[in-house]
Amino acid sequence: MTDRAENLILALPGLLLLALAFFLPIAQMLVLSVEGANGPTLEHFVRFLSDPFYLGVLWRTVRLSFIITVICAAIGFPLAYIMARVGPRARLWLIVMVILPLMTSVVVRTFGWMVILSRGGLIPALLRDFGLVGRNFALMQTEAAVVIGMVQVLLPFMTLSILGVITRIDRRLEEAARTMGCSFLQTLRTVVFPLSLPGLVAGSLLCFTLSASSFVTPNLLGGTRIQVLAASIYKSVTQVLDWPFAAAQAVILFVGILLVLAPYVKMTARNNG
Amino acid sequence: MVRAVPTPLRILAIVFVILTGLILLAPLVVVVGVSVSENQFIAFPPQGFSFKWYEKVLASPEYLSAGATSLQIALLVTLSATIIGGAAAIALHRRQLPFSDILATFFLSPLVLPTIIYAIGMLMFWSAAFGPVSTATLWIGHTVIALPYVVRTTLAVLAESDPFLEEAARTMGAGRIQRLFHVVVPQCIPGLAAGAFFAFNISFDEAVLSLFLRKPGLTTLPVQIYGQLEFSPDPSVAAVSSIMIALTIVLIVIIDRMLGLSRFAST
Repeated sequence: MTDRAENLILALPGLLLLALAFFLPIAQMLVLSVEGANGPTLEHFVRFLSDPFYLGVLWRTVRLSFIITVICAAIGFPLAYIMARVGPRARLWLIVMVILPLMTSVVVRTFGWMVILSRGGLIPALLRDFGLVGRNFALMQTEAAVVIGMVQVLLPFMTLSILGVITRIDRRLEEAARTMGCSFLQTLRTVVFPLSLPGLVAGSLLCFTLSASSFVTPNLLGGTRIQVLAASIYKSVTQVLDWPFAAAQAVILFVGILLVLAPYVKMTARNNG
Repeated sequence: MVRAVPTPLRILAIVFVILTGLILLAPLVVVVGVSVSENQFIAFPPQGFSFKWYEKVLASPEYLSAGATSLQIALLVTLSATIIGGAAAIALHRRQLPFSDILATFFLSPLVLPTIIYAIGMLMFWSAAFGPVSTATLWIGHTVIALPYVVRTTLAVLAESDPFLEEAARTMGAGRIQRLFHVVVPQCIPGLAAGAFFAFNISFDEAVLSLFLRKPGLTTLPVQIYGQLEFSPDPSVAAVSSIMIALTIVLIVIIDRMLGLSRFAST
């Protein structure tokens, strides 16, 4: 037996698993999305793209994902910088603070938000006590609830993406900037921020993708009124049982995500090549 | 070293970290709080203290059977993902296969594709090819999702291992199988172990694939909780959720002991 044969045998189970149980199902979905009563058709796509309701769902998905990504970036960047620059003990606690929610089931975390945001929950009660809102104020079933829940779900991804890049920045660069007269904030803006952009971009793409494709949190916090694309797919599969239409919506989601990812992949390929 | 970070900014940073910590941990704290409440209704802060909701969960056939299903699938996934992913990582690390860069991307591709797209594909494919979904469907699906994590952790450990150990074993006459099991696999153990715990965690907590591939009798714990949340949650949902949180904490402590959290978090 040659080395090559040994490696092939080692990789074969994984190759077969992914080919048969990952790529084949996705191919099946692509085929189903153009399946009609009389051969291949684009009617499911036309139906989606010509219905103002579904276009509204699509627009809401893009808009909310964008807002969620921006908030995650705004919190994630300072958090990652602080994590990279504190002592090892404090860093360990901060990492636990980020990873514990990350590794807890999304269903459980969303449940927590349902309690906090409900009519008698902590945040509405607090806002009422300060007289900021009226007695009938409700947060559940609003877009704000979805954004709050999703930011908590996705913030760890953003923070870890940026942290991975910031820890590799040479700290002497910051010291050099300081000795040459930059203030702390100037150093942050002109040295640290530009150097951590790759992490920020990667984290933002990850957040946007995950946000656009999630339905558990939007369904539970936003309810049926605030439908996003992934929730609409879930509904088509489990309630309406219209699989070809569900497949078409999944393809639209997939293509949308590829459009967002493509410039980034091209950019990194150019940098590496 | 210039270390003067202005004091107001230091204070601001501390306040910022505390606020962010509150946002990140509040849902978990609230869930645990609700689970020990005496009140019939879900409310935070909890009223009184009791373990009655835990007793209710442990006496509920629905939760027990969902827990058993989740545990069974998670253990199967841990086993299959660790073996298949570990073997693939060893082969990828040696870089002797044709197109090894493309192969590496191939093995990590389930990470990039949103789970919902895979879930719908898997449901349609399985129904067309084999009929109704079964435990095997979820087992295979979760293995696919967990595979990249095992491949990544094992590759990370192999990248830091001594490449000459295997050469040394070869010159001293060790056969192919001996080298693999006595030299290479022991070198991979920390990566395999971390990958195994991630695989367990992913399968046990996974909701999307499990929601799409559910049917009566094939309900995992997250799906059971999701169903309760859609209808009429009582604090027993919080008790189940708290048990899941406790399990996550145990897994994190184990991963920290085996691999070090700091190391895993910055790669």
